[in-house]
Amino acid sequence: MNAPDPTKIKLDLDLTHDRPLVSCKFDPTGKFVFAGTESDAVVRWDLATKTKTVMVGHETWVFALAFTPDGKVALTGGCDGRLVLWPTSDEKPAPIRTIDAHTGWVNAIAVSRDGQLAATVGNDRIARLWSLADGSLVQELPGHDKPVYQISFDLTGRYLVTADLQGRVIQWDLASRKEARRFDAGKLYAYNGGQQVDYGGVRDLSFSADGTLLACSGLIEASNPLGAVSNAALVIFDWATGTEKILLRAKEDLKGVGWGVRFHPSGFVTMLNGGNGGGILLFFQPAGPNEFHKFVLPNTGRALDLHPDSMSYAVAHHDGHLRTYRMPVKATA
Amino acid sequence: MRCEYACNSAEHTLSRRRFLGGMAAAGTVGMAGGFSRFLQPAAAAAMNGKQKHLLVVWLAGGASQLETWDPKPKTITGGPFRSIETSVPGVRISELMPKTARQMHRMALVRGVNTHEDDHGKGQVLMHTGRPEAPGNPQPHLGSLAARFMTDESNPLPGYIHITPGGGGSGTSEAAFLGPKYNAMFVGNGQPPANTARSGWFDEPGDVARHTMRRQLNDRFATRRRTADTEAYTSTYDQAQQLMARRDVFDVTKEPAEVLARYGTHDFGRHCMLARRLIEAGSTYVQVSHSNYDTHNENFSFHLEQVGEFDQSFAALLDDLAQRGLLEHTLVVVMSEFGRTPTINQLYGRDHWSKAWSVAMAGCGITAGNVVGKTNEKGTEVVDREVGAGHLFHTMLSAVGLDPKAGYEVDGRSIQIADPAAAPIKELLI
Amino acid sequence: MRILVVVVLAAGMLAAPSAHGGNLLRDAIDQAIEAGQAGKLGPPATDGEFLRRVTLDLTGLIPTSAEARAFLDDPSPYKRERLIDSLVDRPEYARRMQVVFDVMWLERRPNAQVPADAWRGYLRKQFAANRPLDQVVREILSADGSDPKTRPAAAFALERAGDPHVMTRDVARIFLGRDITCSQCHDHILYDDYKQSHYYGLFAFFNRTYLADNGGPDGKAALGEHAEGDVTYKSVFKKKVTSTTGPHVIDATDVKEAPITKGEEYWAYPVGKGRAVPRQSRRALLPALLTSEQTPEFRRTLANRLWAMMMGRGLVHPVDLDHSDNPASHPELLVLLGDSLATSGYDLKAFLRELAKTRAYSRSSEPPPGLSPGDLAPEKFTVAIMKPLTPEQMGWAVMGATGVVSNYKLAVEHDLYEVNPKLRDLIKSDPRRTQLGIELAEEELHRRLDPSINGFVQHFARPPGQAQDAQTSTVNQALFLTNGDPLQTWLSNGGTYLNGRLVALADPSSVAEELYLSTLTRRPTPEERDEVTRYLADRGKDRPRAMRELAWALLTSTEFRFNH
Repeated sequence: MNAPDPTKIKLDLDLTHDRPLVSCKFDPTGKFVFAGTESDAVVRWDLATKTKTVMVGHETWVFALAFTPDGKVALTGGCDGRLVLWPTSDEKPAPIRTIDAHTGWVNAIAVSRDGQLAATVGNDRIARLWSLADGSLVQELPGHDKPVYQISFDLTGRYLVTADLQGRVIQWDLASRKEARRFDAGKLYAYNGGQQVDYGGVRDLSFSADGTLLACSGLIEASNPLGAVSNAALVIFDWATGTEKILLRAKEDLKGVGWGVRFHPSGFVTMLNGGNGGGILLFFQPAGPNEFHKFVLPNTGRALDLHPDSMSYAVAHHDGHLRTYRMPVKATA
Repeated sequence: MRCEYACNSAEHTLSRRRFLGGMAAAGTVGMAGGFSRFLQPAAAAAMNGKQKHLLVVWLAGGASQLETWDPKPKTITGGPFRSIETSVPGVRISELMPKTARQMHRMALVRGVNTHEDDHGKGQVLMHTGRPEAPGNPQPHLGSLAARFMTDESNPLPGYIHITPGGGGSGTSEAAFLGPKYNAMFVGNGQPPANTARSGWFDEPGDVARHTMRRQLNDRFATRRRTADTEAYTSTYDQAQQLMARRDVFDVTKEPAEVLARYGTHDFGRHCMLARRLIEAGSTYVQVSHSNYDTHNENFSFHLEQVGEFDQSFAALLDDLAQRGLLEHTLVVVMSEFGRTPTINQLYGRDHWSKAWSVAMAGCGITAGNVVGKTNEKGTEVVDREVGAGHLFHTMLSAVGLDPKAGYEVDGRSIQIADPAAAPIKELLI
Repeated sequence: MRILVVVVLAAGMLAAPSAHGGNLLRDAIDQAIEAGQAGKLGPPATDGEFLRRVTLDLTGLIPTSAEARAFLDDPSPYKRERLIDSLVDRPEYARRMQVVFDVMWLERRPNAQVPADAWRGYLRKQFAANRPLDQVVREILSADGSDPKTRPAAAFALERAGDPHVMTRDVARIFLGRDITCSQCHDHILYDDYKQSHYYGLFAFFNRTYLADNGGPDGKAALGEHAEGDVTYKSVFKKKVTSTTGPHVIDATDVKEAPITKGEEYWAYPVGKGRAVPRQSRRALLPALLTSEQTPEFRRTLANRLWAMMMGRGLVHPVDLDHSDNPASHPELLVLLGDSLATSGYDLKAFLRELAKTRAYSRSSEPPPGLSPGDLAPEKFTVAIMKPLTPEQMGWAVMGATGVVSNYKLAVEHDLYEVNPKLRDLIKSDPRRTQLGIELAEEELHRRLDPSINGFVQHFARPPGQAQDAQTSTVNQALFLTNGDPLQTWLSNGGTYLNGRLVALADPSSVAEELYLSTLTRRPTPEERDEVTRYLADRGKDRPRAMRELAWALLTSTEFRFNH
């Protein structure tokens, strides 16, 4: 594989929609990018033709997007509590199955490596496992006291990781379906006594390619949650020991939230800063502590994904644009 | 403006007792003259044993009308939450309030509120006084008016109790020229009002003895030097003793655990339960503040948390008041300094929006199940029966039997109790 | 009769209050107050009442029992005058004036820009030196906060964030006796005298001013000012008419402004929210004009406010509603007071001394029998008006009565002199140094006890940014005094605190005397002595407890709460 050069990243595709976007994901084949919007519609773009397809199967917004490993089925989770399965590449996809998965929002979905299970988390504070074969509920995993924001399977496929508003990260053993470990990303959470509000939490999760590191993105220094005064940050855990390795943050106070994080197979880690400070991609080495490169985006970003070819990122923007940013191959000496 | 007694004589101390007993004897000097007009109905109501109460739930920071009383699902401004049916067919509210939805038949909604004021401080003053803030010319807040004109002086509980998170608050300015006696007493955090427990330095007989001695001294002094000010001073000690005797009213731990569970085991739940205890014990005006709705950032997540708390506690409170027969004598109002922008900003936030928002009311004097006013499809403008803070203020006063047009004089200025430019919302009143 | 009064007043006008011989201001005052009131005037206050009153008014404290005894037992017919003269030379006088003017000028705003200590220290220095008040006012209205030397004086404007409307309103209220707030939007509806043009004439001095985010020492905020910006206004009643005005005070004509040369408008040009300094400052035009002879409202208002402080009510009342529909109770007297104050070179000490030496000031607050309510109308000043203690007075009186002040004073003096005998010897070597030592001790005492005063301020004061002249009783205050920690503890301390001193006295009559002298500055009547004796007998053997209860009753009595 040719190593990309993130310091030379630049805008590649600019895909537009008439509503602000809230989420995005590439399908595993790399043919499409999907996005949730500030409406009941999910949008699919064909990256090659830029053809836009609007898919309506929810009553309201969709924050959660996932795919089966073979890419054949797209899963969407809405603020209506529904989990909807779609044929990813149909010309006009219609829901294959609709499951009432949560009370309130579905915040994130993950699919197991064998493609058998879907896992969902929501504001009802519960993680649930579903059989993709028949849509039945396999297991409920209660253990969070606050809305659960993110979910991911580990690289071995033996574990599931869920993370919530308080920064509580729970590792579930899939064999026993019991809690195996907890990680504390409480640094990403704050209770503001003056405003009487909880704020922060793990907004996104990513494992390193070798499975040794787990990155949690979110925010720190939330001095004014209601006024969006905080700084984006990453807490990096050592997966083997379950201990925090380092906190990564921008050199300057960029003011924002770490809405997305992706480890790159070549080792560096990318965080999307969105918020008052605008949309910014920050590139870190895991040893940190600060970015080695900063790339300012044309608009604030709300979600981040890495293309299966590892050469470009998708960012869901508030201005209704889905933009992809491509890294050139590193020039060899 | 200052609290100005008409003259140095104790005869002119304003009190309901005197108005009832002998208005004519006291003469009609200064402030006293204009008061009589609206004191009569309230006083008469009190005599009939129909003490009226006001309970204001204050959603501090400006709650979003779109995530509460006036949802616009499936529109560009609607946000991710859906609307649900309520106990009033055809009236839908945000899905964040399932329990309150089942109380809707006891409530009325005002959906056409336009207050033209997007500043927190000014909005707060506006909603509590029914008129725009005039620097240097403060007007009494609703609670102070209630304390002054709806509260019998023999009532041991303060006329204006404000329950806030943490029990904080200055309690020094709400009454304006009515005088500090009618300022709010702040409680919260499960604590009774400050200094209401007998000092450990005095045993009970000693406490009785010291007060007896104090009264003897004062009575002697008053034989020759008695003024409205000295009277007011000595009466505060009687109030203090009465309040100390009723201290247990503030103790929510006296309630069974299942009741607390119904209200919610958070501060706001406890505070709503305290509000019910206080109303039950005869308090005239109780305000409960719920903090904080000023969601410029992540409006939806914050409203999920805040409105979730509100829904449980408020529904329990309303149900309790109704079950206990208190609701027909108690006007319940849910309001903020303003609403929030229909437009969702880039931070998933909503900003200040006074142009089109909602206030909810229930109970005394209010037509239940009613919805007055309407906003357009996107909630950006009022399209039917627009009302301002003045109208709401007139309505609240009317609902509890105070004449909003009654006037009084302060420092030679004649003031109408509610903004003369506004009028009650007739459709809301029984 | 009326003519005669005017003639007498006119003569009095010529006499500076401090002048010896001739017509003294105090005589003119008494003639004015007593005219037509023969047979309807209250008797003089007792020595105890007078001592307590004037000590509170001029030092903010109540006398100790020892001071009370000494004064009551002093047979001299001149003791009251001597007392007044000595009080105004104590450091506590400067402290009291500091509190009076701090509260009058800043109205308890949080000290956000200038630390409270700096501002108050500045004020105290002016009053200790008895600096002419007009000079002090010019200084506080001129200072812009950029010069470290005058920064404390800039608190008046800085704590108002330099807001032109707030400055307009407060300068009018505080210095011109006119609450013209309503005139911001229209001519006053009820008071013909208050015009919208008054508001905007004053506003025009401030309209170019703003709080810059730099320019002060260490990069702190200071006042900036633009070189241009004219004032136009419309009445809400006559929206079609737009008026333009230059800066002027009330009905005077616009101040002549020097022409501005294009391109040379500034010494420091505006950059963002930074401090701009114009070559021609409008704001700088006001202080001299305001305090000049051309603005009689200034001296009249200042005199009226000082009169109200001493007498419990302004000749114009309320003090910020001076207009023809609310005339002064004694119009000629008010003119005389203002003019005398100005003629004396705004000598505050002399003015207050003179007020304190009037018969009007020294009357009993107890009405003589047989007078009608009309005779006793407060604006006639036929008896002394009872004044509720200010929050600070209340705190210091409670701490004085319970022995907190005297005990702390001993501790301060010990720490200053016993720990360092060299310092003691040095201070005793020279009267000037002795005076400095007294001032040093007073400052240290305040440093230690001011935090306790804050509790009283919190319960008794009106909200920040509002006029502080009215005091009203609340249940919170009663609860604070009934169960609040500080008072109950102070009442329970033994040793040389009040409780300890009372317990040490075996004879109930002596207990009564010490108790009454310590709290009410008078000896008890025989009836009161009996009452104390009975109380102690009834309350059994636990004497500290009984003393605590008795002392509490006296401290919470009406007689204690009011300066009567």
